[in-house]
Amino acid sequence: MSRFTLKPVGWRPRLAPVKAETATPEQLAALDACPPAVRRSTYFLTLAHDPGSLGERGALFNIVMYAEGGLDRADRELSTAVVSMVNGCVYCTSVHAKRFVEMTGDEPAMQRILDEGWAAEPDPRRKAVADFTEALTRDPGAVTARHLAPLRAAGLDDFEILDLIHSVAMFANANRLMLTLGDPLLPRGVS
Amino acid sequence: MPDLIEDLLGLAPDSAIGALRRQRPEALRHAEGAYRELLLPADPGGLSLAERAALARHVAAREGDAALAAHFAGLAPAPDPSPRLDALLAYAEKVAMQPEATAKADIDGLAALGLTSRDIVAATQLIAFVPYQTRLLAGLRALMQEKAA
Repeated sequence: MSRFTLKPVGWRPRLAPVKAETATPEQLAALDACPPAVRRSTYFLTLAHDPGSLGERGALFNIVMYAEGGLDRADRELSTAVVSMVNGCVYCTSVHAKRFVEMTGDEPAMQRILDEGWAAEPDPRRKAVADFTEALTRDPGAVTARHLAPLRAAGLDDFEILDLIHSVAMFANANRLMLTLGDPLLPRGVS
Repeated sequence: MPDLIEDLLGLAPDSAIGALRRQRPEALRHAEGAYRELLLPADPGGLSLAERAALARHVAAREGDAALAAHFAGLAPAPDPSPRLDALLAYAEKVAMQPEATAKADIDGLAALGLTSRDIVAATQLIAFVPYQTRLLAGLRALMQEKAA
């Protein structure tokens, strides 16, 4: 049984978040550049202490995760779940594993990845996406054109690979923010 | 418009990979914007431009990106040695290389040195953004290598 789960995981900040009612106009403007569903979340209110970086980084996150075309949204969620597992971010893993399941309806596939990893992933496209994601996450300096070959064999074009690189890079960032600025609150039965 | 990633890669905007990146123009714009906001902010608050450059340089070097590290080294003179700088660099090391090992005590330690919540969030955003850049650069280098083959 792995510590990674599809159950909702909470997050408690390690420093007091900005309060929406006392936020400065600059902080509110930066929050409004973030996805509507999360702009009043504890995490974004914590990031709002530095509105300049929140605004730019929030806008970048939106494009990388939600832009139309290019890499299938489910593949982006798969990739960001894999980055989060490699980095040990239980919170981010739960969020993005869940989105993958919502998009594909394939809960058994994601549960298997959470429990056992992707070494034996039977779907060649998912396997190629997960392996490339792991390589770029663990040791970016060692990645070469050779690492792209399995993605090409699985049919990914340049635009899809660019989106995949963006997703992996974004979660190198997101996991570090989540793991550093707060603690995960695990559901009952997960340790 | 200047673009750090293209400068570091020696990538022409009208090259195959340059054109590919322009299929996601907002990703280009906001990656550059986040870089400028974190390394060259108009109002750096309590985290000086020299400290910011030193933290970014440390992370880029630890992640093995010599070109990115050299760029950060050229942004500002190295800050004078101090216990505060040592603590900031130790924080950068942990956040970048072992983020799962961070604890509330690390945040409290920065606050005890006089860093405000804004400074702590800015430092963390900065340290966490360099790993975005190193992976984007590495992925694009692989694509360039593939095209050149």
